[in-house]
Amino acid sequence: MKESSYAHSIQIDPDKCVGCSHCMRVCSTQAIRIADGYARIQSERCIDCGECFRVCPQRAIYARHDGLSSLPSGHCKIALVPSVFVGQFSTEYSATQVLNAVKQIGFDEVFEVEQAVDFMKEAYRSEAETNPLRPLISSYCPAIVRLIQVQYPSLTGQIMRLKAPHDIAALYLRKSKEAEGLDPQKLTIYYVTPCAAKIAAARAPVGETESPIDATVDMTVVYNRAAATLYGRKKKGLRKTCADMDPDSVNWSLSGTEKKYFPGRCLAIDGMDNVIEFLEKLESGHISDIDFLEMRACDQGCAGGVLCPGNRFLAVERLEHRQKRLQKLKEANRGKVKNPLMEYREILHTMSGVSPVYPRAGLLLDQDMEKALIKLQRIERMMTCFPGFDCGACGAPGCRNLAEDIVKNRASISHCVFVQRVMEKNSKLSPDQAFVIIEKIWGKGRLDKYMHKK
Amino acid sequence: MTIEYHIKGGDFSAAGSASSEVKKTLKQFNISPFLLRRVAIALYEAEMNVVAHACKGLMSVDIRPSCICVVVEDEGPGIEDIEKAMEEGFSTATDEVRQMGFGAGMGLPNIRKNSDGMKLTSTPGTGTRLEFTVNI
Repeated sequence: MKESSYAHSIQIDPDKCVGCSHCMRVCSTQAIRIADGYARIQSERCIDCGECFRVCPQRAIYARHDGLSSLPSGHCKIALVPSVFVGQFSTEYSATQVLNAVKQIGFDEVFEVEQAVDFMKEAYRSEAETNPLRPLISSYCPAIVRLIQVQYPSLTGQIMRLKAPHDIAALYLRKSKEAEGLDPQKLTIYYVTPCAAKIAAARAPVGETESPIDATVDMTVVYNRAAATLYGRKKKGLRKTCADMDPDSVNWSLSGTEKKYFPGRCLAIDGMDNVIEFLEKLESGHISDIDFLEMRACDQGCAGGVLCPGNRFLAVERLEHRQKRLQKLKEANRGKVKNPLMEYREILHTMSGVSPVYPRAGLLLDQDMEKALIKLQRIERMMTCFPGFDCGACGAPGCRNLAEDIVKNRASISHCVFVQRVMEKNSKLSPDQAFVIIEKIWGKGRLDKYMHKK
Repeated sequence: MTIEYHIKGGDFSAAGSASSEVKKTLKQFNISPFLLRRVAIALYEAEMNVVAHACKGLMSVDIRPSCICVVVEDEGPGIEDIEKAMEEGFSTATDEVRQMGFGAGMGLPNIRKNSDGMKLTSTPGTGTRLEFTVNI
């Protein structure tokens, strides 16, 4: 089950990868290079945001997860399902019906993650009172936490030190099952994830030694299994008779709900490029007087997660619909919500914190200041030789990335096709040598088809 | 090693780009996040001063093993009373500039606060030279 042999979820299948470099061009942290005809991910820079996964035309990039095959017999198996999963299905299916379909895959129980949001709202209020730093940055999106670790080291201290709702839900389940007399060793908690970053967060949590999640399952896999059950059934299923969470908790993973629960001036920013633009300004001290930043790597928040099979806008609309329905149920019950998780709020408050987040050394040229300076000088010198087009023919996303790779002994100046032409002209490189270099980057035989063309 | 950036006066839309570039370079060095933040803020304020008050300027950033030395020279109106300019809340920024959210008179005090040594010289009518150092 829990093997800590990998810290990243995003992987490339070398059997499928053709080295087309689409992924390299979209990577927000410039973590991808092409070598020997394949895309490779530099693990110190990868933040598991999954932007590469979205664009791969070969479907060679995948999110490594634990899967369903590991369902152990004799264990109490609980599936944690986020609300966006329910939003993948048309509103003709009730949430209860969808969650039941998940249960039928082979779980003993199914729990909706957003029930933990009622607790998060309280936790945000106390965090706002006890933590004087401003702006605080939400710790909800693990891709954003990792982005800040790699690219914005000076902002790591401003990340809120709170666990995510699915972790809180898992902690609640552990506590409540223990109270029921279940052996904690016999409890396995699965999280149905909408993205790769949350898999990485369960594998290698930041600010925690161990995640309360035992295993992660790609949402697409669960979707296919649940859809088979649901679509084969004509009869209308059961519906909830009372609200089991605050109505707007259901939208927490989307953009714009979280920020309503932090006092003061708060902004909700979604989409990787938007987040990066904002963090740049924030780091320069350009932006002030903001109290809280809700940030999501995906457009429309988790509804746009890379592992969500459906359309993000439809999912948002369905969750809004569900919020209205929960509102009606709440009103019918004289404004009361029956959320069993909230009975554990006091103990959860003692467990909801995480340790500070530290920067990752993904951008460092050298640990040693003087050596780094020499390397920077080399980079600046090389930059005068490179064209500055960021054509990517060297197997790096930009000229500066190639220069950085060279000073780290990961590439050579002759990888630049423009430098190659100059070297050939000055008889420093033979056409055959240039050919070999291109084959080393883009793969053996890559140029054959052009040679046979007349 | 020294890196130079040109700053255009009055171009508020591009303001912050020079300091942002320097910041990107500094992240490649093993300097503490706290220090990086100080340099970034001081650089941004210095750049904003050129944008808000001068015609054009040149920012040179010298990265050394022990410190980061920044010199910002501009061609512009210069500063009449340097002592007064260093006071918190004092600003000669026009109403136009203030409406854009700048000119609160905190620029120079902020640079002083975030650096380990600052020198400001000016010839009124010609320009201003600002020098500051942040120790590593």
